[in-house]
Amino acid sequence: MRPLDEEETTVVFEKLHKFVGTNLKHIVERPSGEGPDMKTGGLYCFRMHKNRVYYVSEALVKRATNISRERLVSLGTCIGKFTKSGKFQLTIQSLDLLAAHAKRKIWLKPTSEMSFLYGNHVLKGGLGRITENTAQNEGVVIFSMSDVPLGFGVAAKSTQDCRKLDPNAIVAYHQSDIGEYLRIEDEL
Amino acid sequence: MAAVAAEEANLYQIDLGNLTAFDSHDPGASATSSEEELVKECLEKGTRLVQAIADKLFSLPSTPDKEGPLVQLPTPTTPIPREKPLPKAKPPTKWEVFAQSKGIKKRKRSKHLYDEPSGEWKRRHGYNRAGDENDIPIIEAKPTDEPGEDPFSKKKTEKKARVQKNEKSQLENLKKAAKVGALPSTVQLAATSLPITGTRDIPKKVGKDDLGHAAGFASSATASVGKFDERLPGEKTPKHPGKHRKFLPVVEGSGIGSREKQQCEKVLQKVLSSHNHDILNVDKAVKVFTVNEERNAHQKRKDRPAHQNRKDRPAHQKLKKRPAHQKHGDRPAHQKQKDRRKS
Repeated sequence: MRPLDEEETTVVFEKLHKFVGTNLKHIVERPSGEGPDMKTGGLYCFRMHKNRVYYVSEALVKRATNISRERLVSLGTCIGKFTKSGKFQLTIQSLDLLAAHAKRKIWLKPTSEMSFLYGNHVLKGGLGRITENTAQNEGVVIFSMSDVPLGFGVAAKSTQDCRKLDPNAIVAYHQSDIGEYLRIEDEL
Repeated sequence: MAAVAAEEANLYQIDLGNLTAFDSHDPGASATSSEEELVKECLEKGTRLVQAIADKLFSLPSTPDKEGPLVQLPTPTTPIPREKPLPKAKPPTKWEVFAQSKGIKKRKRSKHLYDEPSGEWKRRHGYNRAGDENDIPIIEAKPTDEPGEDPFSKKKTEKKARVQKNEKSQLENLKKAAKVGALPSTVQLAATSLPITGTRDIPKKVGKDDLGHAAGFASSATASVGKFDERLPGEKTPKHPGKHRKFLPVVEGSGIGSREKQQCEKVLQKVLSSHNHDILNVDKAVKVFTVNEERNAHQKRKDRPAHQNRKDRPAHQKLKKRPAHQKHGDRPAHQKQKDRRKS
């Protein structure tokens, strides 16, 4: 377990920024409200462990130092992993964090929820609602109509273009969904 | 003057091919003379020698050219020593050793052969050669032939085997040469990819950088990792070609431990400012602008005084509400407009 260096921090922040925009500030400067220095304001921080990035409160980091590197399996919330080529991938565990601070959202119709949860892209036919002024290639968090976060992806078309699309066209590319908790349970 | 110059020129040995001149009769500088005198003397001698070369050069037959007269230099007479050592002698191949012991001598064979089936002279080797095995259309059967054996494919496999054997012996000879360090330069680069030296590279000469690295490693291989060792005059600080990554402490602290927060802040500012232009949504801004514009125009039309409107319009052209049956007629819209104009 170690803090991210400057390069890694930039990569992680850039990726998060795609989904949360300026709300990134709230994620980085989020008080943990935990541990002995509750009043002084312990924060959440990012820690790297075995190529995975964890979003942890500082109090928990302090306690986790008691555990040796080999034995430490996980701590806090894993938000993603670094690939061998140095790219950063968000994993499904980061969904709670993204959903709470999301800038662009897509709501799915109940009929297409299952299709998305099996790992398919979001089609125009399944699109219930979409945030106004979503641009192409922006990160979007995907919700069910009852506001339950289901996953996240990338907008394939801007909101304007979505109106004219035919029902079978892709609106958002699938990146991750909560079905992965079952499908690739052992990789998470 | 000219006579003196000619005499001097005879005195010196001039090699025009190398553009050099020597004075073999010069006794050399006396040991007692001071440095200044020595330099002066050398310069004088030098100018005289250069002058002698120039005189000789301009006496050569020349052809006029754009830049001036052009002279063909004669072949150099002074042998100049080689810069690099002579290449090492290649060890004799297995065949060469065998030929030596048997007294077999190489003899020249003609490049061309008469090819009977085509009735032409063809090259001995290579494409379209005489007696090419691939081009034989018919092979005569012999009493010794085994039944059920394809003589064509047999020839092919035999040829392949011969090629393979030759390759093998070639490699063996190259291995022998590599041991002595006499690999031909054409094979040197491929020495590791061919099974000659195994995975070992041919030892190279140690370069300047390698020496620097070695010195760096040596000087830092002490108890203090080279920190308290005196450097020799001219010795540089050791180089560390390896990357040493240092990470901030795991747990937030007061000293260096507080640096993570600064780093986070810095990166956050960088990321946010790099996406600063996203704050302005151009599409939305354009939409708002056009809506405002329309609204303003509409307002202006409304604000125009009422009596002015009446004056502009001719008195007979009053806007009338049409009767209902005419309004919902089945004529197209532009026809309706025409009708209106007529009335």
